[in-house]
Amino acid sequence: MRFELDAVYVEEEMRATALARRVIAALPPGVPIRHVPDGRIAARADRAAADPFAAGKRRMVIMRRRSRFLTGCPAASNEFACCGYLVMELASNCPMDCGYCFLQEFVADNPGFQVYANYADAFAELDRVRAGADRPLRIGTGELADSLAFDSLTGMSRDLVRYFAGRDDLTLELKTKTDEIENLLEIDSRGRTLVSWTLSPERVFRSSEHRTAPPAARIAAARRVLEAGYRVGFHLDPIIACDGAERDYSALLDEVFAAVPTARIEFISLGGLRMTPGLRAAARRRFPRDPMLLGEEVLAPDGRYRAFAPLRMRLYEAINRRIAREKSGARVYLCMENAAIYRRVLGAAPPAPAALGAALADGKRRDG
Amino acid sequence: MSAPADEAAIREWAAARRLPAPYLARWLELGPEDRAALLETAVGLRMRAGQLIAAFDLMEEISVRDARPVAAILARAEVRRILDGSGSGPGRAAALLGALRAIRFPRLARATERITCEIAALGLPRGIRIAPPRELASGEIRIELAAHGSEDLRGLLDALSRRAAELARIADLVAGVGWNDDEI
Ligand code: SF4
Repeated sequence: MRFELDAVYVEEEMRATALARRVIAALPPGVPIRHVPDGRIAARADRAAADPFAAGKRRMVIMRRRSRFLTGCPAASNEFACCGYLVMELASNCPMDCGYCFLQEFVADNPGFQVYANYADAFAELDRVRAGADRPLRIGTGELADSLAFDSLTGMSRDLVRYFAGRDDLTLELKTKTDEIENLLEIDSRGRTLVSWTLSPERVFRSSEHRTAPPAARIAAARRVLEAGYRVGFHLDPIIACDGAERDYSALLDEVFAAVPTARIEFISLGGLRMTPGLRAAARRRFPRDPMLLGEEVLAPDGRYRAFAPLRMRLYEAINRRIAREKSGARVYLCMENAAIYRRVLGAAPPAPAALGAALADGKRRDG
Repeated sequence: MSAPADEAAIREWAAARRLPAPYLARWLELGPEDRAALLETAVGLRMRAGQLIAAFDLMEEISVRDARPVAAILARAEVRRILDGSGSGPGRAAALLGALRAIRFPRLARATERITCEIAALGLPRGIRIAPPRELASGEIRIELAAHGSEDLRGLLDALSRRAAELARIADLVAGVGWNDDEI
């Protein structure tokens, strides 16, 4: 996949880094490169632009990360069942543009596509964290950015996979909607990297997931990395409860199970569409003609718009039944739903975050 | 180019009702038929600005979702019945909003209707209130008892336990269980 850039800004201090050099060498001709004293300023929203968020996505900013690289998952809270995930923030924002994406609200003020050239510092941080950890850890890079978008420019995945390949107590999760896997195929991950694809039915893809790889291409990429020794998982998230959704998600799972050996899928996570009022307003402003943003969502007790509860639970149950029919042994979990809904849909109380996180890090499947 | 014939009337209506400028702008951006149909509705039902805003938002959303113009939504039989009906303007305006909500949220409307009917069919005494969550936003049902003294309370509890099976079914419906395929 190739994404277009209007310009690349490189923080003076970072211009000699390996990452800056790699990006500049791989840039297509004609993309202007500007050196700036402070990348944070270049990443700020250009309020004069018609769509400052979209403009930010086309502006890569290579800069130093000034705060910690490792954080808890932004979705984690006492309110929800949680998968015990640590996030490694190596980039912020994404060149793709999904109508429902929470980044529209989360990074609205600094939407420049930031890539942190000092990412090797994250490895030192991680070494310190693992020294104090009493369980295997699962670390993801795909929360504030897609893990593989622009990997053809940054080549970051190679360093990441190599680092994790040498550490049996860690699992790296690269989460993506691209098929940008060429770098991965060159490296032996020693089973320490799991690549997960967020999947949506064709109708949702066409309506809302702009510039992402088509679902069939994502599934094909999953098969290829699996064959190359990576572990794979899938996120059906957000699940959009449009008319015909049960049929659409079932057909999507048919495709997945036909292409990827089911016994080797580690997990399938499920999460219904959820939007804060601010995100919903921003999304509708940016995509006023997207019918996927006009489902039967109501304001839920957690302050987010979600499909009304019976509809949402029925859909979760139908999807879970389809997965169960496959007897794949893949672990199924719900993202950002409360314990009552978790129990209702999956028939068991949610495991403690640490336990689920450790099981996912270990690669333990439901039957494992 | 001269302004469309109804523009002055729309502006006049908006000024009289203090319709916020962004809504006026959106109204004027509609195609001629949609704009006129909305004006006819606003005038005919003597709508307040808040009602027009709510109706406008719902109609725009329906229009995008169903790829149908606003005039076509206002021409639907269930809407036309309200517009052509004989009740008071404010009453019909409220009914119009209800009808538009049901078109915008058809599955929610059906689900709410079924649950409401099932609760009514229980014939529970006054003092027991079965409250499904607002807009079925959560899967949780509430049962409230208002009793004067122990005898009263015992009566309510007896009435509840006689209807335990039906109540359990309603609780399941609220939690997404027991629906027919085409219902939601
Ligand atoms: S791919 Fe992910 S991060 Fe990128 S726009 Fe879509 S939802 Fe957002």
